[in-house]
Amino acid sequence: MATVIGQRQPTMAEALRAARGSSYEGIWSWLTTVDHKRIGVLYGASAFFFFLLGGIEALLIRVQLIVPNSGIIDADAYNRLFTMHGTTMIFLVVMPMSSAFFNLLIPLQIGARDVAFPRLHAFSYWVFLAGGIFLNISFFTGNIFQGELGAPGAGWFGYQTLASKQFSPDHGVDFWLFGLQILGVASLASGFNFIVTVLNMRAPGMTLFRMPLFAWMTLVTSFLLIFAMPVIAVALFELMFDRLFDANFFNPVAGGNPLLWQHMFWLFGHPEVYILILPAMGIVSEVLPTFARKPLFGYPFVVFSGIAIGFMSWGVWVHHMYTTGLGTVANAAFGISTIMIGVPTGVKIFNWLGTLWGGSISLKTPLLFAVGFVAMFTIGGLSGVTHSMVPSDYQQQDTYYVVAHFHYVLFGGAIFGLFSGIYYWFPKFSDKLLGEGLGQLHFWLMFIGFNLTFFPMHISGLLGMPRRIYTYSGDQGWDLWNLMSSIGAFVIATSILVFIINVIVSLRSARRAGPDPWDGRTLEWAIPSPPPPHNFDEIPHVHARDDFWHQKYTEDEKGQPVPVVAGGAVEEDQHAGDGHGIHMPSPSFFPLIAAIGFPIMATGMIYDYALVPVGVAVLFTGIYGWAFEPATEEAE
Amino acid sequence: MKITKPTARSAGRIFATLLLLGLIALLFSACGTDTPQNTFATKGDVAHDQRTIFLLAMWPAIGVMIFVEVGIVLILLRFRRRRADEVPKQVHGNTRLEVIWTVIPAIALIILAVPMLSILFDVGRSPKADAFTINVTGLQWQWLFEYPDVKDANGKPITLAGDPGTAPSGHANAPLVHLPAGREIKVVLKAQDVIHSFAIPRIAGTRDAIPGHEEVFWIEIDEPGTLHGQCREFCGFGHAGMTMTVQADNDTDFQAWVREKQQPKGTAGTRSGSPAPSASP
Ligand SMILES: [Cu+2]
Repeated sequence: MATVIGQRQPTMAEALRAARGSSYEGIWSWLTTVDHKRIGVLYGASAFFFFLLGGIEALLIRVQLIVPNSGIIDADAYNRLFTMHGTTMIFLVVMPMSSAFFNLLIPLQIGARDVAFPRLHAFSYWVFLAGGIFLNISFFTGNIFQGELGAPGAGWFGYQTLASKQFSPDHGVDFWLFGLQILGVASLASGFNFIVTVLNMRAPGMTLFRMPLFAWMTLVTSFLLIFAMPVIAVALFELMFDRLFDANFFNPVAGGNPLLWQHMFWLFGHPEVYILILPAMGIVSEVLPTFARKPLFGYPFVVFSGIAIGFMSWGVWVHHMYTTGLGTVANAAFGISTIMIGVPTGVKIFNWLGTLWGGSISLKTPLLFAVGFVAMFTIGGLSGVTHSMVPSDYQQQDTYYVVAHFHYVLFGGAIFGLFSGIYYWFPKFSDKLLGEGLGQLHFWLMFIGFNLTFFPMHISGLLGMPRRIYTYSGDQGWDLWNLMSSIGAFVIATSILVFIINVIVSLRSARRAGPDPWDGRTLEWAIPSPPPPHNFDEIPHVHARDDFWHQKYTEDEKGQPVPVVAGGAVEEDQHAGDGHGIHMPSPSFFPLIAAIGFPIMATGMIYDYALVPVGVAVLFTGIYGWAFEPATEEAE
Repeated sequence: MKITKPTARSAGRIFATLLLLGLIALLFSACGTDTPQNTFATKGDVAHDQRTIFLLAMWPAIGVMIFVEVGIVLILLRFRRRRADEVPKQVHGNTRLEVIWTVIPAIALIILAVPMLSILFDVGRSPKADAFTINVTGLQWQWLFEYPDVKDANGKPITLAGDPGTAPSGHANAPLVHLPAGREIKVVLKAQDVIHSFAIPRIAGTRDAIPGHEEVFWIEIDEPGTLHGQCREFCGFGHAGMTMTVQADNDTDFQAWVREKQQPKGTAGTRSGSPAPSASP
């Protein structure tokens, strides 16, 4: 619908309306889409692209550390690479990849035709993409052809006073702070949207305690997002004032306090850890029951432990700051709260094992990744217990032991969980199963590569190797462990190549997956693959948790499940209606326009204030058009 | 790897388990070695305490890890789907079991917290009044040491700084820092520009040096010997080179070193806190 050529010059309003279109083809349809499934695909594809970027940064880091005293990458470039690696993996990979799953699945799982605010949804995606591109453009602000990268180099945590104008004078940190600020807008939009969607859009009978666990974790994560993002927004605004306008929030020479930054950053940062891990926990809680053909063991416990983690995550931030001299009593209090957050986490692990116990476990790729999640996350959780012990943490703080710990949580945990979700739901949205052979190869390469990379970091850390050093001398006993880590990193990279090949091969294959390839339990498997734009021809009436399972199986007198005879409620494609008479929100490109305003404003703040009003004007044009545009164009 | 047959799959899982166990074995072999910053090869009271509490948490953690990981493998083997139409009994949970596995870890963790707190308060206590005092300042990118109670010929405290002349990538070559062994040392830690972190792992874990803040803590070194440390908090370009070497002396040797520093010829007039220090010992 890109062409607006008519016999006479169309007015602006007409042109916009024509371009708005309603088709599902062509690039315009993607730029203007408000379909939650397409936005989910966009989120996922973008996050995967950033995953490759962050992965390349990690490989460069590992190349530099492969032997002692290596000079392949200098200290300056190294600092920028690890800063961008951390920032990218957290804000541009795990968060948006989780968001991709929220977008794709939440309406399907709760029996809704759409999210609560479809255009806000599109807006959140475009703002995220704008923020991600903006952040990465910073690489090119240095003299890149002479090997000088321009990216931020003060760490993903941006500690003061290192990230101040005085000690990080180039624009890298400015790109970082405005980039994160933009990404925060996207997260807030998405958080509000999913809270309203989950609370208000559920199908009749879908009570909160009949919701799939993934929907629960989405709800908890969304609440964490809307409370956590403002905290870092305030911190970033203060940093902006310090850097751009010579304010003194964090400047000790003028009475500011560099520790203030750490308090705000970690008050955001610890809930953020759970923002990263809870969606993956939700995914695993869907995959294990399906592949064990057994309901989630202790559903209420898993739900309440997720909620408990959500609350407790606000009371542990000082464990990132044990060594900053806050005093013994404060350290003791936060030490105890940190120890106790291990309890709800442990509950989940035992409940997952209870789900598998007594099941009929199909060892397909999604299950392998889900089990990989449980296995690796357990190690990450346990190493977390060891450094919740405050005095012991003094020895591990800022060493590779901590790097090992959080990679077991965020890679062994979150990334394995997300890949499990990709293998599990890929057929729902593409009607193609990812190849099982390549999938297994992918899993085993990644599993072995992961452990080869990150397990030795426990040891190099306990041998005293600090984080964020671009090189080390050969007499420290760290060489073997670093060599192993570097080899492992390339094994992981190989596994990602296998995954990419698998996706390409599978998409080209002619074999269709059908609506329910895994014998699923939740509503999304009751509708065709890929789902029609309106998801459900008829809004389902939900009678139980795992409603779709109960449509397929009943129980005999001994309590043994037996398939419902012939046909039952399993709908075939031809049975489905054509969706006529269902009005879905029409496409809109105002969310995209509004989103473009943000990077323009940010560029203006960094280089030339004259651009700021331009960005504001673009933003308001988008919001203005959006506000006065009817959500659904009348059918003609 | 052969990955198509179920037997090969379980073989792969066993292989992975062996790999993991092998890595754990490597962990223990590494802990015994005498590497310069090994947190297990401790040489001072604070580090002993920190190792004790780490091991106290680590052993149960390894126990739980083996229990869970082996459990996963056994569950996957035992409950593998054997027939495509196999449907197990739909068990929704077991409240008693779940209460048990909530309460037991909670109790275990609270028990673990008791020795943690007692060690925390010991490590965190104020230094004794008769402790030997050293002032340490972190700056981009070296450590400065000042002995407030050891005066040179001009009556000024002895200071040590690195030699920026010969070091690559911004940092200064570390001076050899002499400290007395066998007595309590009071460290007064400051930072001049950005946050640094002071760690000599075989004596004590890290403490942050934060501009605008003065951190005071005690350490103790068991016996004479050479010890290594380096900055732990990322502090910019020269972070990797911000090392230090400590020579712990017995009383006689330490007094001898002090007398040598007090000789007027020793150009001992380095200015404390100078970003461009002029002399090395
Ligand atoms: Cu430093």
